[in-house]
Amino acid sequence: MVRTTLSRVGIAAAALSLPLGLAATPALAEEMATVSVLHAIPEGAGADIVDVFANGDLLIDNFTPGTLETVEVPAGTYDLAVFGDGQTPDDADPVLIVEAVEVPGGVNATVTANLDADGAPALNVFINDVSRLAAGESRLIVRHIAAAPAVDVLADGEVLFDNLANPEERVAVVPAGDYEASVNLAGTDTTVLGPAPVMLEEGTVTIAYAWGSAEEENLALATQVISDLSKGPEGVPAGGGSTSELPVWALGLLALGAAAVVGAGGRLVMSRG
Amino acid sequence: MSRPRPAVLVLVAGALALAAGTAGIAWAGSGQQVDSIGARPTVTAPTSSAPSSDPDRASDAPSAPDAAPSAPETGRPSPRSAFRSLDRRDATDLPRPDSTPRPERIVIPALDLSTVVDAVGLDADGNVEVPYDVVRTGWYRFSARPGSGEGSVVIVGHRDGVEQGDGAFISLGRLEPGDRIVVTRSDGREIRYEVVARESFAKSRVPLRELFSRSGPERLTLITCGGAFDPAALQYTDNIVVTALPVPGDGSPAS
Repeated sequence: MVRTTLSRVGIAAAALSLPLGLAATPALAEEMATVSVLHAIPEGAGADIVDVFANGDLLIDNFTPGTLETVEVPAGTYDLAVFGDGQTPDDADPVLIVEAVEVPGGVNATVTANLDADGAPALNVFINDVSRLAAGESRLIVRHIAAAPAVDVLADGEVLFDNLANPEERVAVVPAGDYEASVNLAGTDTTVLGPAPVMLEEGTVTIAYAWGSAEEENLALATQVISDLSKGPEGVPAGGGSTSELPVWALGLLALGAAAVVGAGGRLVMSRG
Repeated sequence: MSRPRPAVLVLVAGALALAAGTAGIAWAGSGQQVDSIGARPTVTAPTSSAPSSDPDRASDAPSAPDAAPSAPETGRPSPRSAFRSLDRRDATDLPRPDSTPRPERIVIPALDLSTVVDAVGLDADGNVEVPYDVVRTGWYRFSARPGSGEGSVVIVGHRDGVEQGDGAFISLGRLEPGDRIVVTRSDGREIRYEVVARESFAKSRVPLRELFSRSGPERLTLITCGGAFDPAALQYTDNIVVTALPVPGDGSPAS
């Protein structure tokens, strides 16, 4: 990949306008949003060290492949542009650009600089679902941002997502735990990534990115983790009530066999509290 | 606990029990009233980041580089202060299974308690599964691990059981700030904690999300039941929560 290719794509991308976020609520001036940027253009593709600008201001400096940076930005509408190392909007054209990205307050998004299915550089914008999870659960998001054909994503040998193509994503909520993850070419047994042990932590969003190029044989996984989203358990029932805790009348009724009166008495014996 | 009841009240109480049993009226019987004392540490807001390959060292990870001191090259626009870098990481590490040893034993000298810690999860209703054997305690396996340096290490224990009598945490409400707790991990390492807070919450008002958060400084959170036993609901009205912090300079993070 060479810079001329990047420039060509940049011009093509400039025509795009990506509305970001489903929420229609107008952003207040002081509202902030969380935007992560993933550099997923492999080394040697003409973007080994880049700078990312938002509305002409430096957002991320000296950005290298495989790096994820998370930035808090004011809600608003942004033109995002990627420049070669040391270049600025004043003295050069961007190698990649995406215009008028709407960033509502409170949103959590990830922008990826990656290769499209044909190997040309591209910028993609994803909204991260950071809604709270029930206790014991974990959310897995897989995004295909590699110059590669459609794939199946397997967890412990079972297909979790099938036929995922660049630049799509899939989401699943699964029981938290340790899994063996692998990526196959769609509909085949040909494994292109993994199997690798992956921990899907409770109350956590794990975003796995398949990036790189099949042709260049540098397909790889990158991950982004957003933690502490568990709702927590429903409660801690830690007392069954010993017989010493029951009032005298209850003991009397139990002794008389008046279980029907107490009603729940039968369950009381079995209670784990 | 004030247990014995005047015999003359038995008949009256028996009649009331008819109403209580059928209408589900709570009986405010003998219970453990616990005053709150001390304060839990504050939990910081969640952040987005690439995973740390070593959970034991999660809190040791370098903080997000501030873009301000960089950009030494001439003619570069300085980063706008409105953009605040929260984190910058190598994203190519996968979140690997956590190999930090789990807790196996808890010793509380002030309560003359030394007992087993099982790993527990959730029951069908989403409640923490407290070990059936009331003399055992349970480490909530989705909570932090002792010695990790980050998050709440939650250990739950019964106050009592209908048939089994007193539970491991029957006297949890007697702990005072300054009391020591020792948790032994599966690798034999002992992590020492010092009680900083003891609280009592009505069950509907327990700050569960905060108590179970894996963010913030490492703390040990012990939970049992308290308040009065409600025979209609078959549960106690309150939860007693004891928070303890690692003793500085004694078994801090890393193993």
